[in-house]
Order: sequence, then C-alpha cells, then structure tokens
Amino acid sequence: MKIDPKTFVKDYNLLVCIQCGTCTGGCPVKFRSPLNMRRLVRQTHFASDPSLFKKPEWWACTTCSTCSLRCPAGVKNVELILGVRNYLANQGEVPSTIREALENTLLHGNPWGRFRDRRIDWAKDLDIKILGEETAEILFFVGCAPSYDPRVQNISISLVKIFSMAGLDFGILGKKESCCGNEIRRMGEQALFRKLLRDNTNLIKKIGVKRIITISPHCYNAFKNEYPELTIPVYHYTQVLVDLIETGKIEMRNGSETPVTYQDPCFLGKQNGVFEEPRKILSSLPGVTFTEMERSRERSLCCEGGGGRMWTEGFTEGIRNAEIRVREANRLGAKVLATSCPFCLLTLEDAVKTSGLSDQIVVKDIAELVADSL
Amino acid sequence: MNIIVCVKRVPKTAEADLFIEKDGKDIKKDHLVFALNDWDSYAVREAVLIKERYGGEVMAITVGPEDSKEVLTRCLAMGADRALRIEEPPCFDALLIAKILARVIQGQPFDLILTGVQTEDDGWGQVGVSLAQLLGIPHASIVNRIEIENGKARVKRELEGGLEELLEVRLPALFTIQTGINEPKYVSLAAILEAEEKEMKEVGLEELGWTSMESLYATLDQVSFPPAGKMAEILKGSPEEIVNQLTEIIKKKKG
Repeated sequence: MKIDPKTFVKDYNLLVCIQCGTCTGGCPVKFRSPLNMRRLVRQTHFASDPSLFKKPEWWACTTCSTCSLRCPAGVKNVELILGVRNYLANQGEVPSTIREALENTLLHGNPWGRFRDRRIDWAKDLDIKILGEETAEILFFVGCAPSYDPRVQNISISLVKIFSMAGLDFGILGKKESCCGNEIRRMGEQALFRKLLRDNTNLIKKIGVKRIITISPHCYNAFKNEYPELTIPVYHYTQVLVDLIETGKIEMRNGSETPVTYQDPCFLGKQNGVFEEPRKILSSLPGVTFTEMERSRERSLCCEGGGGRMWTEGFTEGIRNAEIRVREANRLGAKVLATSCPFCLLTLEDAVKTSGLSDQIVVKDIAELVADSL
Repeated sequence: MNIIVCVKRVPKTAEADLFIEKDGKDIKKDHLVFALNDWDSYAVREAVLIKERYGGEVMAITVGPEDSKEVLTRCLAMGADRALRIEEPPCFDALLIAKILARVIQGQPFDLILTGVQTEDDGWGQVGVSLAQLLGIPHASIVNRIEIENGKARVKRELEGGLEELLEVRLPALFTIQTGINEPKYVSLAAILEAEEKEMKEVGLEELGWTSMESLYATLDQVSFPPAGKMAEILKGSPEEIVNQLTEIIKKKKG
C-alpha cells in the first residue's frame, strides 16, 4: 500500500487552485506557526522532492477545515494535509507524542493508552445498560476523552442524569467501546482508522440500536461522514437535548443570573452545521443571558484541540487561540464560557488558568449546565 | 553484518487489575493485552539501524506460544528480514530459554546478537548473558551505544550514577540493549499488514531434539502480592476535603 505523492495533485484537486490565499487568510494557526496553506498547495503542486513533506508545519494544522470550507475553487486542503501525514506515518515519521497516541490506540483502543478495563470506571455508581448484554433503543457512544479524562467524565455523568430523567431507553458499549478513529485519521493513520471503522461498524450493527448519540463532535463527525456503512442515524447530544426541552421531557428549573457566551466547536459548527441547537439550549436555561462573541458560528476561532493536536507538542508558538478566546469571552462580560466538545472544554479550561482568569470566568459544557439546572 | 535479535511478547499490566491463578504460580492473563517487550523493541530498532549502515540481514527469534507470532510480525514490520518462533517449554527458566535459543542459533551464521536488557514481566535480565556464555562469545550488558569498525564493536554501557563504560568487543558478540539507545520509529498498521507477507518459520522443541526437559535451575514456587505497607494513609472524601486533610498533615509535619 505505497503512497505516491505524485497523485496528490489529482487526489486533492490542487490543479484548480487559483492562489487567492483565502485558505491562509482564514487559518487559525497562521500566526502561530509557519503553516501557510497557499504555499503548501503550490509547493506540493510542483514537488518532485519529498523533502517538502519533512517540514514540521504539516503537523501544526488542527484540521478545523476553515480553509477547505472557504476555498472558492474546491481544493481539498485538509485532505492534502491528511494525505501527507498518511505518507509520513507509513514511513514511521511522525512526532513522538503522536506515535504514542497511535500505538496506544492499536493496543488499548484509545489514544491515551488507558486500559480497556478502566473505560467504564466513570459509570461505576450509575445504573447504565451495557449493550450486548442488554438491549436498548439508543446507543450512547461515550468516546475516549469522556470515558477517561477526569474533567470530561463530568459531561458523561451529566448526560446520563439528563437521559435518565427524560426516560430515554439508552445503553453504552462498555469495555467494548473503542476510539471512533476521527483523530486517528487526522493524525495520518488511515489504515488504523479503517480497522476502527470496520470493528466499530460491525459491533454497532450487531447490537441493533435505532439511534446513536455522541458526546464529542469528533465522534459525531466520524460516524456521520466517514462511516459509509453505518446507516443508523447519528446525533450530537445538543440535538437531542433541544428536543427533550421542546417536548417538555426535561424541565430546567434552577439557575441564577449568569451572562454566558458560547464557543462553537469546529467539528460541530463549521464542519457539520450544528449552530442553532446549542444556542437554543443556552437561551432557555433559567437566568442565562446569552451573548455572542464577535467571531461565532462559521467564523468561530478554533481552540486548537483537533487534528491530533491534543497529542502534539510544539510546532506552534505565541499565545494559544484558546487563551485569545477566553480573554474575548471575559471582555464580553461572560461569567461562563460554554462549549459542547471535550477538546474545547480542556483547551479553554487550561487557557482560563494560564491567563489568570480563574476568578472571573469558568468553562462549562452545555451538558453540565443543563444537568445543573434540573 | 548478520544480526539476530531475541524478543519476547509480554503482558501490559500498568493499569490492569491483577489476579493470581488458582495454582498460585502465575497471574491471570486472559484479560490482558500483550505487546513486544519494550527493551526488545529498542534492540530490534538498533539491529535495523546497524543493518542500514553496514548491510546484512536481521532475524528475530522468540521462544513463546502461538500468539507470539504477533510480536514477530511487528519485528518484521520494523525492518527485520525474517523471523522464527520456537515452541515454548512447559516451564520457564532463564537458563532453559538461553539453552533453547543457543541450540537454534548455533546453526545460524551471525555477527551480532542483540537482546533487551530484561523483560517487563519476569525481569530476570539473565537470558542474554547466559546465551553469550553458552555460545562462547563475548558480551556486554546495558548497552546504550554501538559503533562497528573492522570486525569490532565499540559499545557504551550505562552504569549507575550517570557513569558510562566504553568497551571494545570483538565480533561475534552479544549485547543486551538498554532503552533510549535510539529513537523509536512509528510502526504503521499498513507496515504490519505488509509484514505478514515476510518469512516467518516455526520450530517445535522435539524437532530441536528436545525430548525431555532437563532439570531446571530455578522453578517458580509461588507468586503473591506484596503485603500492604503500614506507612501509607489513604485520604478519603471529596477533592476539597482531601486537600484540607492533606494541608493539615503537611502543616503538622512541617512543625
């Protein structure tokens, strides 16, 4: 399965590039790294020397996809990045932290290398159906970060509380759940992604559910767009919560006067067009005044947690986007910066600490805000 | 430069719940995941790097059950040219493993044998050096650098206290490899799938002329968990309560 970089021009539609620079203009890491999409497209176009692919900036991209979505000509910029990373991964030339994340996923089914036996420790005290042993209408696909990360586990617990209160018939895959592969593909390991895709599709088909709900927009994106044989409808949890609120299945009673703003996760918002649901939920929370940040929806600034950046050190310098974002929210007067993605939650919460704003603003996932208001 | 690397498939236990088998002689392994022993992984990478510089061939050998073939496939994906699995004896003893390896290796042309310093599971650290003794070749242990010149190897050994020992060893020789000797390279799933096409042979103990086990130098009597210590105090409560308790303890200790 050798990759020939000569096919990149055709594979990623590089010939149609008009060098307008829209890609570079919208890139969220262009000030933080030498990554210059317009130049890379041009250089790949003329590349006869694979040393081009040794440039470290190929690893700076967060795969937020602003460039591809804005390209007026239809160049597949992000897919080019993934193609180059795949070429490098096949030669074993990936940054050491990404190597570990990929090896961990093959061995343990998650990029952090946490043990499979520990995957449902967060649910120890909760009464949740394990699909395969029991049946349910809905698969609640938890994902790796919400299973293992002590901070993100609170989203999983909050959602179980909400779903149970609403009387949803749901279950989890338990220890059999593995990484969805969204980030794996973006770190360049396409063969490993295909293995996860095959294994997960077979497992999910076998348990016979009617719907899938994900916590992470990254899992949502993978199942919705990159699992061709998985035809079961997939929802991000914000889409489900809106429905539960509108049909009166949950009632949000508690809350205090709080100014809230919202960070659109790239894989939920700009890549999959889920903009309204999170805003509807936030606006219906008791006491909440919702204000938009200047850059929102399609123009939302990437938190830099995607595209394998959660497992990458370096390749960027200067102030992190998450910190810019937290300061922006703080200037707006928001006391809560809400989001609906585990990676956004972690990067933004770090940024609150590094910018010394811990006493002025907190980062919360929408699921936590809803659960607290019940 | 023909290089033989001896490797082992080991269970990963860092975060696993461990249980002891009924007979008390091993831990239960059915729920564990297995991988190539970390030290061996550096040894294979080093062998491949030496091959890339000086030419030759790398052969990976393991003594282990059928499932051990998966770590041999990994070695092939890392750049080894061929692999051999030797059937495992009913009981494990470092010297016995070395004897089995010696019998197989005696029939092979080689300039260099590399093993890991030790394994992550049993940690005897004896197979490599015993094998060198049985083959009658010089050895160096805990090696963190190898340079080959005129049929000799200049190797550095990592000693305690940050000391390094520089040795000149004539080849053929055996070195036990320390982690950190090289920068590991990512082994892609595509490379692993491709490596399944490479040569992998298997040999039984009977074929090697091993009809009955010799008396063992060491037999495993019992495995057990170390008794819980008395010095540790586990704090209980919410994170806030734990922090308060901990601050009190630190304040008290500080006096």
